[in-house]
Amino acid sequence: MTAPAAVRLPEAAARRLALTRRALGDARVRTLAFAYLFAVYSYIQPIGYRHAYATIAARRAFARSFGDNQAIRLFYGQPHDLLTVGGYSAWRVGGTLAILSAVFGLLAAVRALRSEEESGRTELVLAGLVARRTAYLSALAAIGVGIALLWLGELAGFLIAGLPVGPSAYLALATASVAPVCAGVGAVASQLAPSRRIALELGGAVVGAFFVARVVADTSGGLGWLRWATPLGWAEQLRPFAGAQPAVLALPLAAAAALLCLGGALCSRRDVGTGVVAARERSEPRLWLLSSASAQALRSERTSLVVWTGSVAAFALILGVISRSVSGAGISKSLQRELEKLGSGSIATPTGYLAFVFVFFVLAASLFACGQVAAARHEEAEERLETLLALPLARTRWLGGRLLLAGAGVVAIAAAAGLFAWAGAASQGVSISLPRMLEAALNCLPVALLFLGIAALAYALLPRAGSALAYGLVAVAFLWQLVGSLLGAPAWLVALTPFAHIGAVPAQPFRGQPAAIMAAIGALAAVAALGAFRHRDLYGG
Amino acid sequence: MGAAPAPPAISTHALSKRYGETLALDNLDLLVHEGEVYGYLGPNGAGKTTTIRVLLGLHRPSSGGAELFGVNAWAEPVRAHRRVAYVAGEPFLWPSLTAGETLEFLARLHGGTDTAYRAALLERFELDTRKKVRALSKGNRQKVQLVAALATRADLLLLDEPTSGLDPLMEMAFRESVQEARGRGQTVFLSSHLLGEVEALCDRVGILRAGRLVDEGTLAQLRHLAAQTVEVAFAGPAPAIAPLPGVRVERAGPNALRFEVAGPIGPLIAALAQHPVATLTSREPSLEEIFLHHYDGSDRAGGRAPA
Repeated sequence: MTAPAAVRLPEAAARRLALTRRALGDARVRTLAFAYLFAVYSYIQPIGYRHAYATIAARRAFARSFGDNQAIRLFYGQPHDLLTVGGYSAWRVGGTLAILSAVFGLLAAVRALRSEEESGRTELVLAGLVARRTAYLSALAAIGVGIALLWLGELAGFLIAGLPVGPSAYLALATASVAPVCAGVGAVASQLAPSRRIALELGGAVVGAFFVARVVADTSGGLGWLRWATPLGWAEQLRPFAGAQPAVLALPLAAAAALLCLGGALCSRRDVGTGVVAARERSEPRLWLLSSASAQALRSERTSLVVWTGSVAAFALILGVISRSVSGAGISKSLQRELEKLGSGSIATPTGYLAFVFVFFVLAASLFACGQVAAARHEEAEERLETLLALPLARTRWLGGRLLLAGAGVVAIAAAAGLFAWAGAASQGVSISLPRMLEAALNCLPVALLFLGIAALAYALLPRAGSALAYGLVAVAFLWQLVGSLLGAPAWLVALTPFAHIGAVPAQPFRGQPAAIMAAIGALAAVAALGAFRHRDLYGG
Repeated sequence: MGAAPAPPAISTHALSKRYGETLALDNLDLLVHEGEVYGYLGPNGAGKTTTIRVLLGLHRPSSGGAELFGVNAWAEPVRAHRRVAYVAGEPFLWPSLTAGETLEFLARLHGGTDTAYRAALLERFELDTRKKVRALSKGNRQKVQLVAALATRADLLLLDEPTSGLDPLMEMAFRESVQEARGRGQTVFLSSHLLGEVEALCDRVGILRAGRLVDEGTLAQLRHLAAQTVEVAFAGPAPAIAPLPGVRVERAGPNALRFEVAGPIGPLIAALAQHPVATLTSREPSLEEIFLHHYDGSDRAGGRAPA
């Protein structure tokens, strides 16, 4: 007997499938990294909660003091039920992963719908037997598969942690529901903006506004209705594990459908390679910041610098204002110890709270440093670096200039965090001095500089994989402490991450010795990077 | 006793470059004297770009050495690059800068740009300096690179397929610029696969195949060494000619034969004298024929540098 002939797809469907596969292949590293992160995070949190709050009494005390703490709500959203493992997970995991879902949706859409086009590949595809609609839908299909993988990752984490299947699937769905909406935002931004970078910034601004709306809704009493204005709020209103309201799902579905249709309509109406809003093609010469390679690097990175510093400043201002509402009333000594296990430090006082949230600014500065090294790598990948280094310009000077620029950016971000957090706190009458907050800013630098050095070394040694490696190290280091202390890992193991060595400034004094050691390691790594970069071939694409 | 002779503009000694399994350059010995216009011919993947990258110290030699004016660019890139201007094969520039801003930026980094000559070049290449690089076509971006390099008046111009993307008018503008550079005594290293361009511009030609120089010399020398083509038409059906050393024969029509003669032509003439020859034409091989001769029916193996 002969085997049945393989089912042959109609040609158009085969093309669509090929395109979707290609798009999935392009996004595989990012998608798998996100899915893995989702799985780990949703596994760790329920386990940690069971471990830390074994009794109902402990849970009740936790719920009373912790869940009502507005400062904490800012990050994790509004809790509906903190007495059960599921309710806690919905709040703690759902809140955080919803933000990551939003980021994933935006990145995936801009990558598939805009970056591809900027590279010229889309033109190649559209010149063939592929209609724009097909290309657009295939890209969306790939994003859809990616979102489904995030959902699966999160679900798997919950299931392994022992949560029931149905509600876990629903919670993961609530988290993932944010992604299609933000993909829709990215799809529309990709059509409007004249370049990939502007599309990302435009979409980032909208997603940032979603976040701020949720923060305001969750932290200020009278503005709770704002929760209905943001996909991150909808995810909360779905209330997994706490009186589910599945009807709310209609909101993200409708919003995503509307945005994606709008994106599709715009896509079929514009020229390939430009946005609906075209970039200026001509301009009068502006010769500032062209005197050296480093000056030109500053010129091309200035938008990114302003966006990072501005976002951190705005967020620091909000946190400073909120810090006033933090109080230790009702938090027992033993609960305080438990809270510390969550990686939250002493959050019972305004200064303690500020010390806690500054860890996120350390994270932001570290990610910015990685981003700057990635921008340097981009110059090499696009072979512009060949043109530069064929000039009388030493490699060490070029890379050194880029690293100094990154270092200066890190300092600017940290200073903005300190200054604006102080301004916010001072405006509410919190008694804290500017020098103390600048010390908190200084406290951000060692870890960020350490990661800058490591990212530079990774780039010098492994030009193609370096960026992903550096970002991954920052993420692992950040989660390490949280995860380690939750699971009661031995102190020496937790101490492996640089984040474990940051002093809780301004609540506690600046820890000079570890700071000096981390900064020194960073500097050594940077010097080693300069040496290694001097001795390798340049690698394009 | 005179002073030591000036070092050659380009010299490589047993230069090899290996990328993993691929041998991109294989014991390459290259010598280009000051003031020469040197054509570097080879098909895609023969190792032309790799040669330039190694010369500039962008890639490290696996073995052997490479020097620009006696300076090892891997060890001392800044000193080596002071006398050099480079046009990359792919015109990747900064998309957000205008053409004019790009020229200014590159001029400031190189130093010693002749702004008057640059203005003349801009006119010759009809370049709109106010346009952003992202809005320029590939040919126009290539022109930005060319103008930047030519305007430095560097002692050595390293040009990697500089006319890819240029239209025929601009190709003429390019040839004119290279002639000017030669007139000023600049050395030009022109990597190309356009034979007409090399034939028109170059004093000496090197033919690269799979990372090795398979032939080198002036056009006259290459022609001399390569086979001459002799076409003979007979008054009647073409006769059978007894085999002669160094002569290849093929049928060129019912009454005609074509001979490829490597070496002296005398024995063939003697052999033909016994037959009723109607017409006899002989011509020197074109560069194209020389080139194809080296690639005739053989593998085109050769390492492509990681792009």
